[in-house]
Amino acid sequence: MYPAPMEPASPTPNAPPRPAVRENEATARVVPKHHALVRLTHWVNFPTLLGLIATGLSIYWASPVFKHAFDPATGTREWMQDIGRAIAPLVRAQGDPRDAVYEFFGLGPRQLAVALRLHWALAYLFMVNGVVYLIGLAAGGGWRALLPRPSDVRETFAMMRFYLGVIPMALLRRPWPHPTITSKYNALQRAAYFTMPIAGALVILSGWAMHKPVQLGWLERLFGNYDNARIVHLTCMVVLGGFIVPHVILATADGWDTLRSMVTGWSARVKEEPHERA
Amino acid sequence: MSAPDEPREPTPPDEDEPVESAAPEEDDETEAAKPAPPAPAAPRPGFFAERPEVAVEVPRRRLAAQSRRDFILFAAGVIASGLGAWWLLPDRRKARLVGTAAHDRLDTLAGRVGLSRANREKALNGALTFDDDVAEALYSKDRRVRTYATSQRTPLKNNYHGRTPGPEILPGWTLNLTGLASGRDERLTLDDLRRFPHHEQTTRLVCVEGWSAIAWWGGVRFADLLAAFPPAPGARWAALRSAVSLDGAGRVEPYYVSIDLNTARHPQALLATHQDGAPLSLAHGAPMRLLVPMKLGLKNIKALTDIAYAADEPADYWNERGYSKYDGL
Repeated sequence: MYPAPMEPASPTPNAPPRPAVRENEATARVVPKHHALVRLTHWVNFPTLLGLIATGLSIYWASPVFKHAFDPATGTREWMQDIGRAIAPLVRAQGDPRDAVYEFFGLGPRQLAVALRLHWALAYLFMVNGVVYLIGLAAGGGWRALLPRPSDVRETFAMMRFYLGVIPMALLRRPWPHPTITSKYNALQRAAYFTMPIAGALVILSGWAMHKPVQLGWLERLFGNYDNARIVHLTCMVVLGGFIVPHVILATADGWDTLRSMVTGWSARVKEEPHERA
Repeated sequence: MSAPDEPREPTPPDEDEPVESAAPEEDDETEAAKPAPPAPAAPRPGFFAERPEVAVEVPRRRLAAQSRRDFILFAAGVIASGLGAWWLLPDRRKARLVGTAAHDRLDTLAGRVGLSRANREKALNGALTFDDDVAEALYSKDRRVRTYATSQRTPLKNNYHGRTPGPEILPGWTLNLTGLASGRDERLTLDDLRRFPHHEQTTRLVCVEGWSAIAWWGGVRFADLLAAFPPAPGARWAALRSAVSLDGAGRVEPYYVSIDLNTARHPQALLATHQDGAPLSLAHGAPMRLLVPMKLGLKNIKALTDIAYAADEPADYWNERGYSKYDGL
């Protein structure tokens, strides 16, 4: 799990703060970051979600929800085909450009039977994974780090200001210190990591509402009606998928230590002061 | 990934106790002058416990061993998901990803380690069967399908993949029953069937493709037919068949579905003869179709001609084409 500590970080009260990197010594100072269950479920989620999105798009193809009147200029009657026409040159789509989204992000058009079977297999995996994550979160108390708190509004603006300035200030070679964050996550991270389990729960519930609208009629009613459950399901898919892109970019930009900590659970960024108090 | 099985450094036992009394780093600067509180014998945190983000001293060798183990597990996971994705992806998609020649070579390699097409079908069918078992476990004969007012009807399209049979099927139409307790086969005309009480219901028909429509149906209860002509003892299934179905080119191509008798006995399982208060149109299955709103639309067979009761699950048209067999909603 976590590396077991050998001794307190500061054994003598008056000792000066030790340097974080001491290559020649027998011990290393590290900070425990992510619980083993968080790491496990995090990495299981990644291919599972990509597979669910790909198969889900091929299911969506059979009966799109977001439609408009037939447009003779583009030859489409649904938004996913309009997006397909727009991205077709980018993804070098072969065949009908209107199907580019289904071809590039999904299993392709006319794959309903295989997409359904894969979607069920991955959905059960996604649910088991989610339950493992929630059990770990509840039993270990990790949920506390995800709860929104009163200071979040102010901190959100500070973080957004920081992110907007990172690239211009780097170009101007001006110092651009990270806002002071005293908790495990900053307000933006907290909002994202708080929203993801909720979007995950909603996507599962709306999925069941569509899958078993008769036996789980109460669930269908919870979403209003059958078609609303489909809209919620697709909206959650966009939220979950939309999270992946900035998440990967920001985690990678943060460096190797951050990526490694999601595999090994520890970080070598030992701050003698709270997080990024620079 | 749990701690107990990992190799431990030969250290004194007390060193295994994580010392949680280490003051949080933030306090170091402000409280540096105060003497550190004595370390209380903190209980060892459980497996689930979230550890505070406080720097700890760890022997380098142990840290390296644990990190190596975690990266090996991670790499194994990456390889397993890569192989799994390759194995489960449809052939068409794989060929698009890597080109046909590489696809064939990689498929041969995957087949050598058991990731063959036959095994893939088996695994995917396993997922489907599991989902069907969940659906069957959820099913309750007493649970009513939600009904609507006739004013809430929505347009119902004819989604049959073949052509619609012409009116020539109507005059000589009979419903043929086999597998009955009496041992006889029955041929029922529409007039025979009209002797059963007429029931009406407005329910949602849900298609496997994702669309649905609320429609107003009328007909006789399947349960009444089962009571009047009971199946042979031991029968658990009904094989329903339309011998007059046509394929896309207009040739006769029988359509057939399997229905479990639990579903057939549901009070909202109708042998429908009417839609919107008028006799069924040919496009919607004249003269009689099955209406089981607790099943996907593809089980609601049109222009029904034969019902055979059986002990074992009969063939199902769409199941043979890769879809679920139970299709319970």
